[in-house]
Amino acid sequence: MGATAILGVGHWIPPRIVTNAELAKQLDEDGAVLAARTGIAQRHYIEPGLGPSDLALEASAPALRQAGLEANDLDFLLFATMTPDLAFPGAGCLLQEKLGVSPIGALDIRAQCAGFVFSLLVADRFVQAGTYARVLVAVAEVQSTALDFSPRGAGVTPYFGDGGAVAIVGKGTEGRGVLAGVMGTDATDYEQFWCEYPAGRQHPVRMTIENLRLGLHYPQLDLDALNPIAIKLFRKVVREVAEQGGCHADQVAHFFFNYVHPPTALEAADSMGIASSRVTATSSAAGHMGGASLPIALSQAVEAGRVGSGDVVCLAAVGAGINWGAVLLRL
Amino acid sequence: MQSTDASRKARILGIGHYVPPTVFTNADLTRVMDTTEEWIEQRTGILERHFVDRDLGSSDLGVLAARDALTAAETAPEDVDLILFATLSPDVDAPATACMLQRALGVRDVPALDVRNQCSGFLYGLSVADQFVRTGAARRVLLVGAEVHSSGLDLTTRGRDVGVIFGDGAGAVVLGPEDRPDHGILSTHLHAEGRYARKLQVEVPTSLRAPRIDEEMVAGEEGRLFPKMDGRYVFRHAVTRFPEVIREALDANGLEVANIDLLIPHQANLRISQMVAATLELPEEKVFNNISRYGNTTAGSIPIALHEALLAGRIAAGDLVCLAAFGSGFTWASALIRW
Repeated sequence: MGATAILGVGHWIPPRIVTNAELAKQLDEDGAVLAARTGIAQRHYIEPGLGPSDLALEASAPALRQAGLEANDLDFLLFATMTPDLAFPGAGCLLQEKLGVSPIGALDIRAQCAGFVFSLLVADRFVQAGTYARVLVAVAEVQSTALDFSPRGAGVTPYFGDGGAVAIVGKGTEGRGVLAGVMGTDATDYEQFWCEYPAGRQHPVRMTIENLRLGLHYPQLDLDALNPIAIKLFRKVVREVAEQGGCHADQVAHFFFNYVHPPTALEAADSMGIASSRVTATSSAAGHMGGASLPIALSQAVEAGRVGSGDVVCLAAVGAGINWGAVLLRL
Repeated sequence: MQSTDASRKARILGIGHYVPPTVFTNADLTRVMDTTEEWIEQRTGILERHFVDRDLGSSDLGVLAARDALTAAETAPEDVDLILFATLSPDVDAPATACMLQRALGVRDVPALDVRNQCSGFLYGLSVADQFVRTGAARRVLLVGAEVHSSGLDLTTRGRDVGVIFGDGAGAVVLGPEDRPDHGILSTHLHAEGRYARKLQVEVPTSLRAPRIDEEMVAGEEGRLFPKMDGRYVFRHAVTRFPEVIREALDANGLEVANIDLLIPHQANLRISQMVAATLELPEEKVFNNISRYGNTTAGSIPIALHEALLAGRIAAGDLVCLAAFGSGFTWASALIRW
C-alpha cells in the first residue's frame, strides 16, 4: 500500500513588505538591532480585508496544478490556523466555498506553529484508512491584524508575518510519501507562548475593555524560557522521526525547522551536526507565519529546485502549546 | 506509517459527561430580557440550561467528563495516544484548549489538538479518532466535546434569539480498537458548506479587520463578540441535511432507517429533532432528546446525550446507534455505531 504523498504544494505571501526599519519606527526600536535580535529579514502583511481562507485560496491554485488535479477532485479539506477569518465558523468552511467545490467535509484544527505537521499527519490517517483519496491541507495565518504596534509589542510583533500554503495529499507512487511522523504536546508551561483573550474561561464575559487596555489580546512570547526547550525538542523530534523512518540524518537532503526565532532553529540544527546548507530556518526570510512558514518554505524550495523528486526531507516544528512534530517525507 | 488492517474498527470504550451545577431556567431568563417561558419552550423545547458561575473554561468542564470516560474505559491518562478537543468556546485565544486539558490531566508528550467544527465538532473529532484507531496509529484516543457558552452570550433583549438556546456542558469518550467483528464505528460522514457561514457565526475576533478586535467590537451597539443566527434559515437547512446525512450513513452500510435502534441528534432545537424524526418516519422512542434540560451545548451535546442514553438503558449491545449533527459552517455529519 502506498504511503501518503504530497502531490502538489503551493504558497502565497502577500506582496506588501514591511522592513525592520519601518517596523522599528513604530515600536521605538532600532532597525539594525531588531534585525540582529530577531534574525528575521522582513515580513509581509496583507491589505486589511483578506483572511487566511483568501491566502489559502491563492495557494490552492498552484498546488492543484502541480498535483494535476481540479478542485472538484478533492474529497476533503483540512485547515489549520490560529488567526481565522471569523471566530467561527472556521476558515476551512470559507475555503470550501471559495474553491467552489461540493459540500465535502472541511475540518478546522488548532495546533499552532506545528499546524502543518499535525494536519499533514491527520490527513495521512484519512488517506491510509481509505476514507478519502485526495485531501487539501491548508495552513495560513493573518497575524498582522492581531499585533501590538506600540512599543509594548516590540518583543513579539517583529517576529510575525502573513502567509499561507496548501498541500494536496493522496497516495503516491511507490517509495514516495510520508516515511515517518511524530507529534507531541507538553502544555506544562503553555503561557510561554500564547494569546489569552478573548478567554472563554473568564466569567461572566470573555472580553472586556479592561482586558483590551492591558493588551491581553496580543500574543505573548517568552523567548528566554522557550528557546532552550525548542532546541531540546528539535533534537528529540529529529531523532525520533529518523528512527521511526529507519533513516540516518545523512540521508536527509534538507531539513526545514519551523520556529518563531530563526537563530534558535539554526542553533538546534548546528547542535545536531547538520550543516547550515542543509537546513532552512523557515521564519528567517519572511517572518514567522505560524504553522504556515513550514509548507511555504517547502513550496519555495520545490519551486527553486533546491529539493526535488526522490529527495528525503525532514519537516520539523516547535511552537505554541508547546506543540512539536516532524515528518520525514520522500518527495 | 503504520500498516492498515482493513477489518479493524474503532469503538467507544468509555464515556463521561459533566454539566456545571448552576441551573438557569426560562423563568430566570425572563428576568434579564424581554421574553416569556412559553415562547422559549414552544420555539426550542428548552426548559433550562446550566451555566458556570465563576471563571471556568471548556477545559475545566471537559477534564471532569474526561476523567469519567477514562475510568469507564479503564485507561490511565498517560496511556492516551492522542487528545482531541472539540469546542467553539476555547479557554483562551491560543493555544488550543486541548493543551489546557492535557495540563489538567497531568500528562505530557501526548499530542493535543482542537477540532473547531462547531455543532458538528464532536462528530468531526470522532471521525479523526476513528482514522487513527482503524489504521493502528493510536490505541487510545481521548475525544472531548465541551462548551462554556455563557461567557459569550448576550443575555439581554438584544441577544435573546440566540441567548436562550445555549448552555454549558461537556462530554468525553475514549476510543480504542474493536475486537468483535461487525461492531464499533461503522462509518463517519462529514460535510461543510461555507456559503452559509454568516448565517450562524461569531464574527470577532476577525482577521479580516485591522485590528481584529477593538473597543467598539467589544462594547459597541452591534455586539460583535456575540453569536448571530438567522434562525429560520438554519432551521430550514437543518431539517434537510439531518435526514440526508443519516441516509448517507445507512446507504454506505447497506442499512435502512428501520435498522436504527437509537438516533441521537445533536441537540440544537427540539423542533428540529422532531421534524427530522418525522421525515425519517422514526418513532419517538427511537430518538433521544435531552435539550429540555441542557439547551444546546454544541460540541458537548452528542456525548452528553449518548452517555445519558446509556445510563437510561436505551442502548443495548448490538444496537445500531446513529449520531448526527448540523450547525454553524454550515457543517453537518453522521456516524453509525454497532454498539
